[in-house]
Amino acid sequence: MTVSAIEFSRLGPPKLTLYAMRCTSCRTLHPWWEKYTCGVCRSRELVEERLEGTGELSNYTVVYYPPRDFLGQEPYVVGHITMDEGVLMPAPVVGVAPEDVAVGTRVKAVLRRMKLGHEGDIYYSQKFVVDPNPPRRKAATKHVAAKSAPRRARAK
Amino acid sequence: MRVGVLGIGKTPHKIQHDKSLRDLIVDSGRLAMDDAGVSPTDIQAYYLGNAGCTGFAFENSVALMGADHLGLTPAPAVRVEAACGTGAWALHLGVVAILSGLYDTVLVMGAEKMNDLATVEGTSIIAQAADSKEEYFSGLTFPSGVALTARKYMQVYGCTEEDLAHVSVKNHHYGARNPYAHLRFECTVEDVMRSAKVADPLKLYEVCPMTDAGSALVLCREEILRDQPDKEQVYITATSMGSGTWYAASDTLDDAYDLLHKPAQKAYAMAGLTPKDMDVAEIYNSFAIQEPLGIESLGFAKQGDGWKGAKDGSTWIDGKVGVNLSGGLLCKGHPLGATGTSQAVDVVEQLRGTAPKDIQRGNVSTGISACRGGPGAVAAIHIYQRLEG
Repeated sequence: MTVSAIEFSRLGPPKLTLYAMRCTSCRTLHPWWEKYTCGVCRSRELVEERLEGTGELSNYTVVYYPPRDFLGQEPYVVGHITMDEGVLMPAPVVGVAPEDVAVGTRVKAVLRRMKLGHEGDIYYSQKFVVDPNPPRRKAATKHVAAKSAPRRARAK
Repeated sequence: MRVGVLGIGKTPHKIQHDKSLRDLIVDSGRLAMDDAGVSPTDIQAYYLGNAGCTGFAFENSVALMGADHLGLTPAPAVRVEAACGTGAWALHLGVVAILSGLYDTVLVMGAEKMNDLATVEGTSIIAQAADSKEEYFSGLTFPSGVALTARKYMQVYGCTEEDLAHVSVKNHHYGARNPYAHLRFECTVEDVMRSAKVADPLKLYEVCPMTDAGSALVLCREEILRDQPDKEQVYITATSMGSGTWYAASDTLDDAYDLLHKPAQKAYAMAGLTPKDMDVAEIYNSFAIQEPLGIESLGFAKQGDGWKGAKDGSTWIDGKVGVNLSGGLLCKGHPLGATGTSQAVDVVEQLRGTAPKDIQRGNVSTGISACRGGPGAVAAIHIYQRLEG
């Protein structure tokens, strides 16, 4: 996917940290940076919430036939990560051989080069690595309050 | 409700380097109109399902192109897009158009030309049917998104990769006997297990090929078909659509079940039928795991048991219900926009008794097609009945 300069400006600050969207009405947390309507209660009031970046690998696949932008990286692992806040996100899992990946592993997000764009521009985003210092007790999956105030509320 | 199926037509499903998108449109449209015994001037509206022409062919308003080349002008023509449910959506719009009373006879078509591009380009175009700005930024592809579902399914319902391989074995048994199928070879469980890995645990024989094809149906008001008793009396008696999760991240096994289950319940009610009444079913299976998911959603097995049918024989040609006797998408391939219409044409052939000899089930009077699209986003159910008198 090519992102034009004008589109890049609309996207706002680069998403170099993991965010999810919290419904202010029913408190459901939705994955990704954008969610305009809560699928549970249909509220239009959702706010960004920063994720701690830690979680547990709950499922994974190994991709042998990648899309164009990921050519040369195959085979690579895409995990389904249950974040400690309870939300599920797919993301690449790196630093571990496909045959050594195990469901239940504690992982944490790191900022890595994701891919090369068509113009040679470098895209950065979150990948996950095995957490070298996992919490002794499995972190609770209940709501963890955002450390910082939401950068902007979105009400549409 | 009843909408008459006046005519059907389809091109072979395969890599067709000698055919362009417009060739597939013209071929399938003419076959359907000839079968219906109508001329282009009898067609009052034209719905063309095509999912990827802007990517695959750098063309966009292809329904207008089709209307011109088929001689349908000045009838209205529109291109329909709904991910892998595209063709089924075109069919739904055609059925609704007849039911509205506005049109007497319409042409519904699906056509897709995929093989002018390399697989890697095609994969990228197909991935546009999901959130390519956020979720698929993570290197996810459609096969790998479904692979996550497959692994979850195996964990939760306790079936093995070998168990799932039986789905491919069954589809290939019938695909080998369908002259219109793309992949025409039989395979064993061992062959499936040995085939190349695509997205673990999905293997090559559990993934559909990219295919060039077109298929079309001429639909009409009930009375028009009833007044022609020499024609096969096949009617669409239910159409039911739905939507579901746009993100693979939030697509749980229950979501995957509900996606087709809810519209299927509506369709059964609409037709006044139950799952037990179905003789044949064409169930979307671009990846093998989607067949058991569909079998469960349509009520042929309880949730978690859908994988057993291919192994115990109950979804084979002489089982409780013949599932994907065409070879399914695993063998027919998945010409995105043409898949929904191809399922419809194959069910109608079963009802008419004109399917290829080795895949024709005996005494078929009722059939169902189930199409899905996007990560878990599009659902389409149609029920077909042979109704004499």
